[in-house]
Amino acid sequence: MSAVVESHDHHHGPKKGLLRWLFTTNHKDIGTLYLWFSFLMFLTGGAMAMGIRAELFEPGLQLMDPIRYNQLVTMHGLIMIFGGVMPAFVGLANWLIPMQIGAPDMALPRMNNLSFWLLPAAFTILLSTAFMEGGMPGFGWTFYAPLSTNYPNIAYFVFAIHIMGISSIMGSINVIVTIMNMRAPGLSLMKMPLFVWSWLITAYLLIAVMPVLAGAVTMLLMDAYFGTSFFDAAGGGDPVLFQHIFWFFGHPEVYIMILPAFGITSHIISTFSRKPLFGHSSMVYAMVSIAVLSFVVWAHHMFTVGMPLVAELFFMWATMLIAIPTGVKVFNWVATIFKGSITYETPMLFAIAFVVLFTIGGFSGLMLAITPADFQYHDTYFVVAHFHYVLVPGAVFSIMAAVYYWLPKWTGNMYDEKMGKLHFWLSFIGVNVTFFPQHFVGLAGMPRRYADYALQFAEWNAVSSIGAFLFGFSQLLFLYIVVKAVMAGKKATPQVWDGARGLEWTVDSPAPYHTFEVPPKITEQTKL
Amino acid sequence: MRKAFVGLIAATLFMFAFSFMLVPLYNVFCEVTGLNGKIYGPSDFFKSEKEVRERNVNIRFLSQVNESAPVTFYPSSESLEVLTDKVTKTSYIARNNTNKTLTLTIVPSVSPGLAAEQVKKIQCFCFEEQTLAPYEEQEWPIRFYVDSELRENVNDIYLSYTLFENNRENSMVMHHDS
Repeated sequence: MSAVVESHDHHHGPKKGLLRWLFTTNHKDIGTLYLWFSFLMFLTGGAMAMGIRAELFEPGLQLMDPIRYNQLVTMHGLIMIFGGVMPAFVGLANWLIPMQIGAPDMALPRMNNLSFWLLPAAFTILLSTAFMEGGMPGFGWTFYAPLSTNYPNIAYFVFAIHIMGISSIMGSINVIVTIMNMRAPGLSLMKMPLFVWSWLITAYLLIAVMPVLAGAVTMLLMDAYFGTSFFDAAGGGDPVLFQHIFWFFGHPEVYIMILPAFGITSHIISTFSRKPLFGHSSMVYAMVSIAVLSFVVWAHHMFTVGMPLVAELFFMWATMLIAIPTGVKVFNWVATIFKGSITYETPMLFAIAFVVLFTIGGFSGLMLAITPADFQYHDTYFVVAHFHYVLVPGAVFSIMAAVYYWLPKWTGNMYDEKMGKLHFWLSFIGVNVTFFPQHFVGLAGMPRRYADYALQFAEWNAVSSIGAFLFGFSQLLFLYIVVKAVMAGKKATPQVWDGARGLEWTVDSPAPYHTFEVPPKITEQTKL
Repeated sequence: MRKAFVGLIAATLFMFAFSFMLVPLYNVFCEVTGLNGKIYGPSDFFKSEKEVRERNVNIRFLSQVNESAPVTFYPSSESLEVLTDKVTKTSYIARNNTNKTLTLTIVPSVSPGLAAEQVKKIQCFCFEEQTLAPYEEQEWPIRFYVDSELRENVNDIYLSYTLFENNRENSMVMHHDS
């Protein structure tokens, strides 16, 4: 081993050309790849949503047959969840976790590269079904068996999910190993910034439930092609079992899509209120309780399958219990804003909108948790309105807030504040015009997942579609603002925001290709 | 670092195995508790300590044909008033509407699920596969009794049978492949 010559230059920059992106093991490069990939998927899934809303603009079938409509709904869900929100959070984790804990890179850089490059492969497989006989999957993103086992092209769907799952699991292992082993000296777990905390918890959730999803799709594949009967009643299986397994994965999954948003919001609200976050450790405990509770509430997605009363009551109460730690978080954000010296830059606008609109989505979730009421709401647009309120102005707004907040650190340039605010207000109005009316039609009984609807729902659906087009097309403005900031703009200082706290603001803007090769010393004076 | 990595890989593999363990766990859970309307052997999970007495219970018979199985399938009587602990006999009628021989599986379900345990079947066409020759009509008997340990608040029991065709030549998978 002594023959190894230490000729390696530790201060090299990025490679030149496109191969840089293929072979990179740099956490900042991989973070950038994840973020651009998720934006591409966001536009793809968004285009499908535009198709859905165009069809629903008026009653009757105008643009597509119901099969095509179901395919768009299914792919919209799959792409937004596995291609949009999750990779965006992994991208942010890659960029920020090493810089926030004072580490030079992620712990397993080559695995990091692989876990990104699996994603384009997975989505190519999934989207390739669009060009095949039989078409894209059309059984809803929840792929309930035995409907899904009787569908054409299901093997492509199953393998795509397997690859996405492997990618997520590798990403999570990387996050946990990095956080556990590479924190700067003096940075104890309880001092860790909340975004890092939120990702640590999310990564554990992913490792617990992504394998269960893999198991579910494997059983599906075996039922469809290898003659087993996990979910086929004719062979002694049970379709309700599928729902239990799916939602055992599915409920923690929805927290996977919101916990990092909690972390982001905490940073931004603290910065623009120019106050340390209120109740740092209670925020950590709240997130841990939410994560633990997420494993014992799954059956609230299936109150109507015919469970015994005891089970319905258990899942109702367990679900309502989650409102307590969530309430703690909302309280702490409001308490941080209280008597702060607040300015309303674009990230802060998105963060405040997050708190308000996510809380609305949380409240409609509480309504859905009430078992007897859920029998009325189940599978109506009320559910659609609920989960879009927690995912669009929830998860997606937090990602946009994070992009505006850290963009000067990534690019070294300030974004155009006027355009950013315009993007915020268009998105804010668009989202509410789209999804608020869906509460009304849902309560009036409009079922989800149909290409057509009864005439009395026509007005609110037209309103909803107009809002969706407004929201959809204003995202092109987001693309323009980001590209403009990457190209040029007012130079950013290392501190960027005067209230910002955390190690990432101690390095230059743009952040050098390699940061914290010598770990920073964390003392009582370090602003975290 | 290596230890953490190996531990996390092990956790991943364990959770994958766990998802398959959910299948028997789910069945055992239903069996022990008598939930989900599944009919299994005796269980004393919900056995009441109260004194038992005979009474009348209304049994309604339901039938369903899964997907597009080409079979006509219905109960010979839609409901019966039965005395608990007394063996009752009734039947279902099934007719093959094709010129092919069909093998069929019939899956029973009892509602409310908590009464499933007390519906004791002595003879049932659901115990084994049934075969129907082309255009054949058969009468399939069932003999059962309702145990008097039935919960007091249960006065109506729904006995439902879903009929599945075993040779799945007409199923969607095959249809799309051809």
